[in-house]
Amino acid sequence: MDLADRIDAFRQILEEWLRGLYHGMISHPAYEKIEKEAEDTEDAFILACFPDAFGIPSPVSYYTAELLPYLEDEFESWERRLWDRGTYLERKGQQYHF
Amino acid sequence: MEPFVFFGGKGGVGKTTVSCAYALRCARDGQRTLVVSTDPAHSVTDVFDQPFDDAPQSVEGIDGLDAMQIDPDEEVTRHLDEIRQDLSEQVSASMVNEINRQLEMAHGTPGAYESALFDRFVDVMRNADPYDRVVFDTSPTGSTLRLLGLPDLLESWIDRLMHKRRTSIDLFEKAAVGNNEPRRVMEGDPVLARLQQRKAFFEFADSALHDDAAFFLVLNPDELSLNETERAIATLREKDLTVRGLVANKLTPSPDPDEDGRGARYLRERVETEAERLETIRSEFDPPLVAEIGWRSAEVKGDLLADVADELDIETAAEPPTHV
Repeated sequence: MDLADRIDAFRQILEEWLRGLYHGMISHPAYEKIEKEAEDTEDAFILACFPDAFGIPSPVSYYTAELLPYLEDEFESWERRLWDRGTYLERKGQQYHF
Repeated sequence: MEPFVFFGGKGGVGKTTVSCAYALRCARDGQRTLVVSTDPAHSVTDVFDQPFDDAPQSVEGIDGLDAMQIDPDEEVTRHLDEIRQDLSEQVSASMVNEINRQLEMAHGTPGAYESALFDRFVDVMRNADPYDRVVFDTSPTGSTLRLLGLPDLLESWIDRLMHKRRTSIDLFEKAAVGNNEPRRVMEGDPVLARLQQRKAFFEFADSALHDDAAFFLVLNPDELSLNETERAIATLREKDLTVRGLVANKLTPSPDPDEDGRGARYLRERVETEAERLETIRSEFDPPLVAEIGWRSAEVKGDLLADVADELDIETAAEPPTHV
C-alpha cells in the first residue's frame, strides 16, 4: 500500500468520523428538537380539539369528535406524553444533552 | 323573498302556529313548501293532527305542503353512531374503548344539542331543491340566536385547528432524518380533509343564512315579550342578520260597544294597554309589524289555521336560493 492509498483510507475514516460527529452533535439533536416541537404542536392541536377531556366545555368538541377515528396514533401518544410530562420545563430540558 | 324563512321568538308566543300558518299560505299560493320544526314537544303534529318524524312527509289535505320534526336528541345519537361506525373500521380494538370515552364526553357537552340542530338545519337548506320555500319553526330565542351565531365562530375555530395541524405535520416532515418516512404527511391527511369538509359546510351555512334567509320574530303584546324581542333584534343585527318583520300574536279581542259587564270592561282595558304596546312597537321598533293575530278560543288548527294565514301580511313568492 503506497502513501497515496494510506492517505486516502485515512481521509475516508476521518470523513466518516466527522460526519458521525456532526450528526451526533449538531444534526441529530436538531432533528430531535424539531420532532419534539412537532409533538408539542400536535399536543396543542389535540388539546384544542378535546378540551372537554380536562373539563373545559368547547363549542367544537361535537365536530372534532369526527376526527377521532383518524387520530388513533396521535391520541395514544398524546395520552402517553401527558402522563409522562412532569413539567413543561422537564419536557424542554430533555432536548439538551449535557 | 328569500327561500328560507325563520320564525323565532320567546317561548310560548305561538311560533309554531305562525310558521304553520305561513307555510299553509305559501302552499296555497302554489309554492312547494316544507315546514321544519325543532320543537321536541311536537307541536306541528298537534297543529296538523298528524304525526311527523325527521323525514319530510306531506300534510294530509293540503297540496304542496310537507312537514318534518327534528329531535335534537335523536340527532346527537345519530352523529355518535356514525362516528362509532367509522371508529370500528379505522381504529384497533384496543384503542376503541379509550377513544370511545372521549367520544361520549364530546357528545355530552352543553353545545352538542345546538350543534346537532344546526347540522340538521343546514342539511335541510342544502337539500332544499324540491321545495320553493322552507319555513323553520325555531326553538325559543336564546338558543336560536346561539345557533345562528355558530357558523362564524366555528369557521374561525376550524381555521385555527387546520393551521395547528398543518404546522405539526410540516414539522414532522422536516424531522424525518435522511430517507426515513415522516411520521405524518401533509398529502392526503384524513384529519385535514375532514376539517376542510367541515369548513366548507360552515361557509355554506354562513352564506345561506346571510343571503337566502329571512327572519321574523313572533311576539305577544306584553312587556316581557317586547323586551326579549328588542334584544333579539339587536343580537341578530350584530350578526348582520336583519329581522324582516314582527308578528304580534294573541291579541285580546275587543267586546261589542253595548256590552258593559265585568268581562267586557276587563277586555276593554286589556285592549287599551295592548294598543299602547302595539303603538310602541310601531314607533320604536325598526322591523315593521307584518301581522296582528287575535286570540282564538280554540286550538289553532284546521280552518282556524287558514284564518290565521289570511291575517299574515308576509310575501309568499320565493326566489331560488343563491348558494347551492
